[in-house]
Amino acid sequence: MATTTLRPRVGVVKLTSCDGCQLTILDLEDELLALTERFDIVDFPEATSDRSAGPYDILLVEGSISDPDQVERIHDLRARTRLLVVIGACATAGGIQAMRNWGSVDDWASSVYPDPSLLRVLDRVTPVSDHVKVDAELRGCPISPDHLREFLTALLVGRRPQLPDEAVCLECKRRGYPCVIVAGGLSCLGPVTRSGCGALCPAFGRGCYGCFGPREQPNVVALTGRFEADGLTRAEAGRRFAGFTAWAEPFRAAIPEDGPARPIRAASRGASHAR
Amino acid sequence: MVTAVRSEPQASAFLARADLGSLLDALHADGRTVIGPTVEDGAIVYAEIGSVADLPIGWRDEQAPGRYRLAHADDERAFGYAVGPTSWKRYTFPPRVPIGRARRDGDRTTFEPIEPEPPALAFLGVRGCELAALRIQDRVLAEGPVTDPDYAARRRASIVIAVECTVAGATCFCTSMGTGPEIMSDGADLVLTELGDGFLVRAPSPAGRELAARLPLVDAGEDRLGEGRAAVAAVREAIGDPVAIEGLPGRLMARLDDPRWAEVAERCLACANCTLVCPTCFCTSVAQTSDLDGFESVAERTWDSCFSGDFAKVAGGNFRARRQDRYRQWLTHKFSTWVDQFGSFGCVGCGRCITWCPVGIDVRDELMAIASPPARRPLPVAVATQPGAFVPGRIASTAAETPDTTTLVLEDVDPRIAAGSPGQFVMVTVPGLPAVPISVSRFAPERRSIELSIRAAGPATGSLHELPAGSTVGLRGPLGRGWPVEAAEGRDVVVVAGGIGLSPLRPLIDALLADRPRYGAVRLFHGARTPADRPHVSDLEAWALRSDLELAVTVDRADETWTGPVGVVTHLFDDARWDGREAVAFVCGPERMMQATVDTLRDRGLRRSRIFVSLERHMECGIGLCGHCQLGKFFVCRDGPVFSLHELGDAFVLEGI
Repeated sequence: MATTTLRPRVGVVKLTSCDGCQLTILDLEDELLALTERFDIVDFPEATSDRSAGPYDILLVEGSISDPDQVERIHDLRARTRLLVVIGACATAGGIQAMRNWGSVDDWASSVYPDPSLLRVLDRVTPVSDHVKVDAELRGCPISPDHLREFLTALLVGRRPQLPDEAVCLECKRRGYPCVIVAGGLSCLGPVTRSGCGALCPAFGRGCYGCFGPREQPNVVALTGRFEADGLTRAEAGRRFAGFTAWAEPFRAAIPEDGPARPIRAASRGASHAR
Repeated sequence: MVTAVRSEPQASAFLARADLGSLLDALHADGRTVIGPTVEDGAIVYAEIGSVADLPIGWRDEQAPGRYRLAHADDERAFGYAVGPTSWKRYTFPPRVPIGRARRDGDRTTFEPIEPEPPALAFLGVRGCELAALRIQDRVLAEGPVTDPDYAARRRASIVIAVECTVAGATCFCTSMGTGPEIMSDGADLVLTELGDGFLVRAPSPAGRELAARLPLVDAGEDRLGEGRAAVAAVREAIGDPVAIEGLPGRLMARLDDPRWAEVAERCLACANCTLVCPTCFCTSVAQTSDLDGFESVAERTWDSCFSGDFAKVAGGNFRARRQDRYRQWLTHKFSTWVDQFGSFGCVGCGRCITWCPVGIDVRDELMAIASPPARRPLPVAVATQPGAFVPGRIASTAAETPDTTTLVLEDVDPRIAAGSPGQFVMVTVPGLPAVPISVSRFAPERRSIELSIRAAGPATGSLHELPAGSTVGLRGPLGRGWPVEAAEGRDVVVVAGGIGLSPLRPLIDALLADRPRYGAVRLFHGARTPADRPHVSDLEAWALRSDLELAVTVDRADETWTGPVGVVTHLFDDARWDGREAVAFVCGPERMMQATVDTLRDRGLRRSRIFVSLERHMECGIGLCGHCQLGKFFVCRDGPVFSLHELGDAFVLEGI
């Protein structure tokens, strides 16, 4: 792409998501103008109301596949895209909304919406890669501006992006934070989560929530054992993995069968009846 | 142990607690930033110290594998803790250092290094283990053939105020590594020992003496010196000696295929915390950042870890893909290959990797499990160890094995000799002739009996060979290190004997058969020159009938009675189909036969650490004192006669050693 004299046509599209990753693109304030000079941005809902039908040299896809229309749309987009890049926890892992996968649509829809019959959703929320071939991914909730900058630079220069597959612990120790598991007894997912956030949560004395999803060789079983040793039940320890990347294996397997939260049926129905 | 040199005699100067600020003032007056211990984020970390109030006064650290907590004690001690999560490498070898810049301007590309601009620092509160760690990193980064300029500059720009340990952390093992709790390494400018009312002070370096001259020091007095000595000695006592480091590098490399690596990998997170808190780990990667067009890029040296996924990766795959590969790389580097590379261990025993492991993996336990010290399998107590002392043994019967070999069945033998282990030997004598070493060919402790199969080779063995039943011989033993039967547990076993070499192996075969379910397939191969030269024929015939032992025999030259194979012993398994990769082998016979056998076993996939041979050498004393039987670094009588091929190395194949 870097070799073409024409500016590559770039699209940014969203599926089920909060738009936070798109905002991260806008957060690249220092480079934004330079980027628009080098890329022809033809689709970007958070930045412009112009819409294009493609084709795209590069398409950044935000959001999970949650309804039947999105399945159709992602196949359509794929067909019109050379390099399809999924960005953020929703697109790469299903996102926070994938936690509904442990419940039944009928149960939660009737407790949330006044008229659930208007709803047309899939039984399972899934990442984009479950439906079409994905060429690259940027992890995180939201994605890291540094990763995005590195990725775009690498595309322009024509080299492989340097996005290390290492534990959050490496960033945490480079920054000099004492381990919150060891010194605080917190249930931190850092040892099994891919770096990229700069160890944001440990920096504030909190355990990692796993926003960047599982790293390579994640030893979820051993980490769950540690949480149990710190006083959590097996189910509570497993539910620590129920965050923004809950649907990504092996986090998914650690989560108890009855789901990431207390079963939604009993709890919320009881509450609404009482009201 | 690493070199433990006290660079100065005992301190005799004393700094009152109330005057500690004068030390900080003197350092600040020199334009130095003081880095020292302070409480932050629930731990004692090393950060900038503005005044005495920043020090962790009255704080204690409670440490355990995977656990660290602070507690407050009711005293004024500033250094009443062990060590925290920060190590000094954060300041000598920072996590991210820009090291070079590249520019592309049209057709011109330039590269330029980024020159270090080190701050003037004073490190306050460097422990004995930490000073040793600084010296190790000096050797790695500043004193080798290649120097890291940034590190060297930072070290030159800093001074070290060491503080001896007066509390022991539960994960400390400096005593085993020879680095503390006293300040044992050179390289400190000032050394403090904290007492109840102040600090003993000594100044091993010119910079330290210059600094000390500006402090309100008084004579310490004998009582205070005694208090300091006692406090440090109590720490040494409390830590004990948890890791047996003697011979550890070799033992570890002999266990590269230990099943424990896979077991520890089930617990290990491969999160890299151990390497990042380690004060000596120096592995880095260089990260490149560039502007959008790639016209200008900066290279940054960044802390990395052998536990990271990308660390051993190449385009085709990952050389250390599994967690067990990475744990083994780390542990063997720290405790074995570092010694080869840099002349010391890569560990100082600070215990950080134990405390700060989120799952509490204790390197002390792993080392002792994977590379436990040799022969702690206690050797049977020998009797009459001194070369001049013998106990009697009565020859109950004799049996001719071959034309030149006779077995003496001894009874009324000292029970400690009869309880020897397979492969051990005894020194045997008759009055007037020199004592000779003879491997025991059967132990029968229940009958207080042993058997000795003796080939008439010289005057002494010739006399023993001819002794009639009822005679008495003198015995010393059991001596030496025999067959490591435990190495065969759970594995297939190959026993290869040449001629009378079957005799030292017979107690091993007895032991294997006595506890048969503990082992995999057991295969015994015996070769002799002629059918008549085969010893222990009745045993061979009995073993041939067993279904739980595969026996194959051969002779070099057949006679009319022989219907079996003819040829050297290795022909018996040249074409066999069994896989030797997980097997263990025990070999005894003439040296050339053993060498040929070992080559064939290696071809079958057996590892050098799992092939054991029993060596013959000239032995006189049997206890490693007379010097006759030396083979390289070993005394064959004391350290052998059984060795693994791995232990022997080239000493086994070269002649004349």
